[in-house]
Amino acid sequence: MVLVPRESDSADLIRVRDLTTRFYTEEGQINAVESINFTIQKGEIFGIVGESGSGKSVAALSLIDLIEEPGRIVGGEIWYRNPDLAEMVADATPDAVDGAYVDILQLSEGGRHALRGSTFSMIFQDPMSSFNPSVTVGEQIAEAVEVQRRASANPRSTRARTEDFSLVSFLLSSALPSRQFVTPDSKDRAIELLEQVGIPDPAKRAEEYPYEYSGGMLQRAMIAQALAGEPEILIADEPTTALDVTIQSQILQLLSELQDETGLSIVLISHNLGVISRICDRVGVMYAGELIEKGDLSDIHQSSVHPYTQGLLDSIPDFEHPESSLQPIPGNVPSLLDSEMGDGCYFADRCPKAMTTCREKPPEFTVDGDDDHTVQCYLAREAYDPAKALEDNIDSEEPDATASTMNREQLEHSPVEFDNE
Amino acid sequence: MGIYKFLLKRVLQGLFVIWGIVTVVFLLRFMTPGDPVSFVAPLDAPPALRAQIAEDLGLNQPLHIQYAEYLIGLVQGDMGYSYISNTDAGSRIFARLPATLELALMATLIAIIISIPLGIISAANRHEPSDYAATSFSLIGISTPNFWLGIMLILVFAETLGVLPSGQQAIGLVGALQMLIFEQNVSGLRAWGAHIILPAITLGTYFTALIMRLTRNGMLEELGKTYIRALRAKGLPETLVRYKHALRNTLIPIITILGLQLGTLIGGAVVTETVFAWPGLGRLVITSVLNRDWPLIQGTLIVIGVGFVVINIVVDSLYAYVNPKVGYE
Repeated sequence: MVLVPRESDSADLIRVRDLTTRFYTEEGQINAVESINFTIQKGEIFGIVGESGSGKSVAALSLIDLIEEPGRIVGGEIWYRNPDLAEMVADATPDAVDGAYVDILQLSEGGRHALRGSTFSMIFQDPMSSFNPSVTVGEQIAEAVEVQRRASANPRSTRARTEDFSLVSFLLSSALPSRQFVTPDSKDRAIELLEQVGIPDPAKRAEEYPYEYSGGMLQRAMIAQALAGEPEILIADEPTTALDVTIQSQILQLLSELQDETGLSIVLISHNLGVISRICDRVGVMYAGELIEKGDLSDIHQSSVHPYTQGLLDSIPDFEHPESSLQPIPGNVPSLLDSEMGDGCYFADRCPKAMTTCREKPPEFTVDGDDDHTVQCYLAREAYDPAKALEDNIDSEEPDATASTMNREQLEHSPVEFDNE
Repeated sequence: MGIYKFLLKRVLQGLFVIWGIVTVVFLLRFMTPGDPVSFVAPLDAPPALRAQIAEDLGLNQPLHIQYAEYLIGLVQGDMGYSYISNTDAGSRIFARLPATLELALMATLIAIIISIPLGIISAANRHEPSDYAATSFSLIGISTPNFWLGIMLILVFAETLGVLPSGQQAIGLVGALQMLIFEQNVSGLRAWGAHIILPAITLGTYFTALIMRLTRNGMLEELGKTYIRALRAKGLPETLVRYKHALRNTLIPIITILGLQLGTLIGGAVVTETVFAWPGLGRLVITSVLNRDWPLIQGTLIVIGVGFVVINIVVDSLYAYVNPKVGYE
């Protein structure tokens, strides 16, 4: 595990309050992310862990405003600390400004678009399908450089970034090489970025197409692309899932080093608590669209309260005690379809310690008076009492029939893949 | 592999295909009922005259000799003589070729100019009125028989409105361009345009509708891919996301269809050429078939076949250019 020193006194870079994102599909309303709260500090790696379909990717896409139809961010606030931006938008949208913080959900579409690449950037799960197959890798990275270069030439105008390149400019650029979007300068910068992420012979590799790269190399290239705009927050959505185990650790190592060198904050999303544990400072656990427990890595590892978090920990293989068997969490992630969600704790059906109180939704409790460690579970308040156990809890052998309607990438049986490094 | 080696390989393959076409076309004559002599000779011709005619046309020789002579003639650029008019088949065919090529290219051009922007607009405004309008147009275009469309266009524009000629070619494109360049006279080009526009629309409508559908569906498919989200994540302007990235990948399969369809247009303009009395290959081949004028039939089919092969080579080269994964391999 790579330990990154934390600046404990640094103020929050991002404060997410009651963020709610829903999808309005033909089957009904899907509550993919339900009132989640978290903060991201400058220079930390914040991990979000959860099963497939728990809403962690949607939470990440909501941050960078890439939720696509039929999804919509329906509520909440995302406060981003940037005094320059606050000053800039204070006149137009005074409600969106609170001191040095700006609520980016209240900005115009152009204003939010302008944060992509410069404040937030993102890397995705499968590098092969995240690059355009018919454009060279160098050119695609250079585009990312160029976007920010054009924007910083005119920092007050979001228009410069989003609308300046019109259809006419595009047609001209197709005909005249001198009018192309990507300039030689940004191509040079792309090569530097490729070098920075450890790609050998970057000048030559920049001219190659994505299919000429290996998966690990391409994931490095995607990281290079994400760094092009010198973002403050890098969102890594399952960055290692599509890669071999040995490559996985190289990529995690790289992310950790980059974080050290540049001081950027990283939001690392994974279904794999093993991956999260290796480089994260703080962890949030998502279940059925909610952040059910969050705290420092040590809080989660040593004093987790929520039975789901404990279940995740139990399903990581322990090589120091190979005789202990893995404990999978019975059942599946519940349906996120609004009409099928109950009123109580969403985990109660699968919870080994469910009590009658769990029929009501648990509020957020702090654990042992530590404000940084919070959990949505009554066990933080009272110990488990078998006398109050919830009866006719769904048996683990009986797969939840309703679960299959929503979770497209649902895992077959064992809900948590373990890290076999 | 470099482009020259690629082209050389394709040309050699093409020659092989052309040889195959020549052979099949040649053998076709012996499988088709109807004796050419009876079309050439007067109705009351005595058997001696018929024998003489067969001898003159070279029909009495064994098959392999006729085949060898035909091949040798072809290599020397000689397609034989028309049975009916006794003129050089090759020169008659090549006199007709430009009209057909102009028509096919014009139809393709119209199709590309209309269909691709329409497809893009349709995809960009999915499930909105403009999309429904475009897809309805496409459905109508695909299901309208072109002989009917041609007649309707003549009725409206030539008969009722009287703004455009009902067909026939006043002047070829080459002639019109010569007038423009040497005499600075645009009237030739204008006449050429007026005569070709209705036949080109008739021939190109199906094609326009088809390409529009392909563009729309292709764009929708591309815009749904993961890399589009990655492009947006880096803040790229939407214009570039759509046109530089999505459109380019959409066009890759469309180029193939365009090429294949252009070949079909050259061979398949028969109906349109007949409706508009267009002096092209399509009409030539129809009259030749009715007369069993084999040198003309064979020559025309071979020219169309060669056209197909050439277009395919061009399309393959273009395809390799736009799709780096294919390359010149």
